[in-house]
Amino acid sequence: MAKPFIVARDLSIIYNQGKSNEFRALTGVNTDIFEGEYIILFGPSGCGKSTLMYSIQGSLPPGEGTLLVKGDDVYSYPPSERVYFQRHVMGIIFQSFNLIMSLSVLDNVALPMIFCNADKATRNRRAQSLLDRFGVGHVSHKIPAMLSGGQQQRVSVARSMVNDPKILLADEPTGNLDSVSTQQVMDKIDEINTFDRRTIIMVSHNAAHLSYAHRVYYLKDGRIMREVVNPQRKQIKPVREGETITTELEQLARLYPYDSVESWRVKSMVNFLTQDYTFDQIGRLEHSVDLFLQGRIDRASFIKSLILTKERGGVEVPEKEARRMAGVVEKVVDTADDIRRFRAHRDNDAIFFTQDKLADRLKEHLTKQHCITLSKQQEANMTELIADRVTGVVKEADLNERLMKGVRSKGLALSEPEADDMTRYFEKVIAQGVDVSYK
Amino acid sequence: MFKTNPLRTWLTILGMGVGVGAVVVLVGLGFGLQQIILEQIVFGDSLLWLGVSSTGAQGPKLTPETVQQFERIEAVVDAAPLARFPALITYQGLTGNVFVQGVEPPYLRFAGVTASFGEVFGEEDIADTNSVMLSPATLKLFGIADEDSESFIGERIALRLLVPADDGSEDVNEIIIDKEYTVRGITKEAGVLNAMMMLPELRNYVGIEEYERIQVNVVDNENLPLVEEALIEQGFRVTALSKTVEQASQIFQGIQAVLATFGGIALVVSAIGMFNTMTVTLLERTKEIGIMRTIGASPNDVKYLFVSESIVVGFLGGISGILMGVGFGIAVNVFLNIVAGQFGGQAVSLFAFPLDFLAFIAIFSAGVGYLTGIFPARRASSLNPLDAIRYE
Repeated sequence: MAKPFIVARDLSIIYNQGKSNEFRALTGVNTDIFEGEYIILFGPSGCGKSTLMYSIQGSLPPGEGTLLVKGDDVYSYPPSERVYFQRHVMGIIFQSFNLIMSLSVLDNVALPMIFCNADKATRNRRAQSLLDRFGVGHVSHKIPAMLSGGQQQRVSVARSMVNDPKILLADEPTGNLDSVSTQQVMDKIDEINTFDRRTIIMVSHNAAHLSYAHRVYYLKDGRIMREVVNPQRKQIKPVREGETITTELEQLARLYPYDSVESWRVKSMVNFLTQDYTFDQIGRLEHSVDLFLQGRIDRASFIKSLILTKERGGVEVPEKEARRMAGVVEKVVDTADDIRRFRAHRDNDAIFFTQDKLADRLKEHLTKQHCITLSKQQEANMTELIADRVTGVVKEADLNERLMKGVRSKGLALSEPEADDMTRYFEKVIAQGVDVSYK
Repeated sequence: MFKTNPLRTWLTILGMGVGVGAVVVLVGLGFGLQQIILEQIVFGDSLLWLGVSSTGAQGPKLTPETVQQFERIEAVVDAAPLARFPALITYQGLTGNVFVQGVEPPYLRFAGVTASFGEVFGEEDIADTNSVMLSPATLKLFGIADEDSESFIGERIALRLLVPADDGSEDVNEIIIDKEYTVRGITKEAGVLNAMMMLPELRNYVGIEEYERIQVNVVDNENLPLVEEALIEQGFRVTALSKTVEQASQIFQGIQAVLATFGGIALVVSAIGMFNTMTVTLLERTKEIGIMRTIGASPNDVKYLFVSESIVVGFLGGISGILMGVGFGIAVNVFLNIVAGQFGGQAVSLFAFPLDFLAFIAIFSAGVGYLTGIFPARRASSLNPLDAIRYE
């Protein structure tokens, strides 16, 4: 069995030990990290995840317990030799990039090599090739302040790799980045793990990143609460049979990273009681619906993605059911367009349709959908009710109530099941059609 | 540091430069004064000469035999005597008191007698019987103004020697030299009334039994103190130009020390300023130090970085100070020379900057840079990288 690369045993880190403001940042931490693993230290701020990372990096001596990197106790070395580890074993990237603003991008990347006494030509060649690799080679002569955050972070990724370290430490590398840059940086870090086979230890509190990791350590109040294995990745850490089993809880941990184990158990049970599909299927279905709603796939592809087997990345539903789903989605989306038009007319006057006409069309659609026939008075009442609901004059509960009221009191005199059905359907349509973005 | 805050860095260098410049100017002034004085004292190889004179009535007398005796000393190359008698000088009916000095040409050379106008006696003039040199003060006797001194060359004067009587009485015998001498040159000896002629010519009129003074030429510097000591032991009074020079040098070293102290105060002020700048820079770059430490710089790398930067700043400060100081000195020299030229005076260099002094200053200022940098550097290297990186 392979030996773990980084071993922490009963590791405690205590700030201001012996003083009145003594603070235990880490208590009794045990970790085994193997070469080539992608580890995420996850938890709320102040949980000690950064402390653990910097302790591994060699800047925070453990108060109690031992920390071995490659079988060596780094902290038993004098500081001058500990530096060797920081140079050749550890690369580090930070949330705030921490590039040196007075140096050019190229010099920033080459800087760690200066401390290793590499000659200038070698330094610049290596730095430039890394910058090229991470897509920032064209800005190598600029100073960091002239770069975007994403570019700066990619520069600092290049800097962390310049001495070809075994371990890449990342302290919330995407904390200061927009979503596009975040994606780019995460992809690059993933590439370093999968392609360069480097060990990655990342501190994060972004749940969206958890799927990158082999394993996630959940920290809270200076303790490791759980270790969650990512079933989507082939594990490097040898798993002893029967000792740990991968359960649905791991999946839920990724979906709801901030919830407790108890609430995952509840969710697992509720899913079983109410839904025919597993979390896995639901996840894929969500993905397909997402693409369909955005218009990035057409009806045929949507149906196909629903029918495909799980092994091939589909949801695995019967074809008939898939067609029904596609029909419902299409219908709702079409109707939602009318809601959108209706609400758009609130501000500018009618160009193609008047609001009355749109409300009329929505009424037609609803009556057809639910196969009810209405008197003229009912129809008039319904048109008015739809207009009220779409403009927000009445709430969901009011809508439901008025559907059941008598015709005289501006209702439709529907039965309770009919009213509930229609309300539910119409709310779905409104959910699709209402623009909730901030203006 | 030149990139992050170039203005402050250059101002620090300038501050250092002003301090160093003050030292350079003041010490340069000391060197200049010393040089001026020594130039006036030292002539050619006259440093190898000892002036021997009698200590008074009790001591041995300087006779022609003494001269030969001196010449027999191993380390002595030559000995040239000077005889002196009071005399009356007459020019166009005006008569005044002077001293007639009888010398041989080597004496003139070694005693450093030069002419401001006309010619000095040369070796070939040993048999000259017709000409004399006069000191400038003598011309004053005859009411000749300084600017007319040159026209006095070629004038003729008559002399009457006043020789003490042989019988030991206080009487004086007046010996009239029944001819006129041509004035061949005016010496530079200020404040004395002298008429100088060749010793053989003087002997024609008086028997010389005692010399006033004998100049002894010693073979080299090492033998100078030996000969000097030997002569003193024999009871003579010995004066050596080298001694005078030595004393003058000592005085000027004192003056230089005082001047350097004043300059040193300026230097200390600028060094404190530089120390301050380095400390502020340390605070400002704390985060940078943290970054460098976490990406693999050892504490020694950080220390080295700081010390080398402060040495560079100190050295550049020294260089700029040297440029400023030397520039100022040369400007003053040129200005003085122009002024001197305008007013017909002699050109002098008030400031002098020996190269080894400037080299010392450059190295010294780098040393000051090192000293001001070492303490901030130590602090920088002992910073906890994690605390440093969070410092804003």
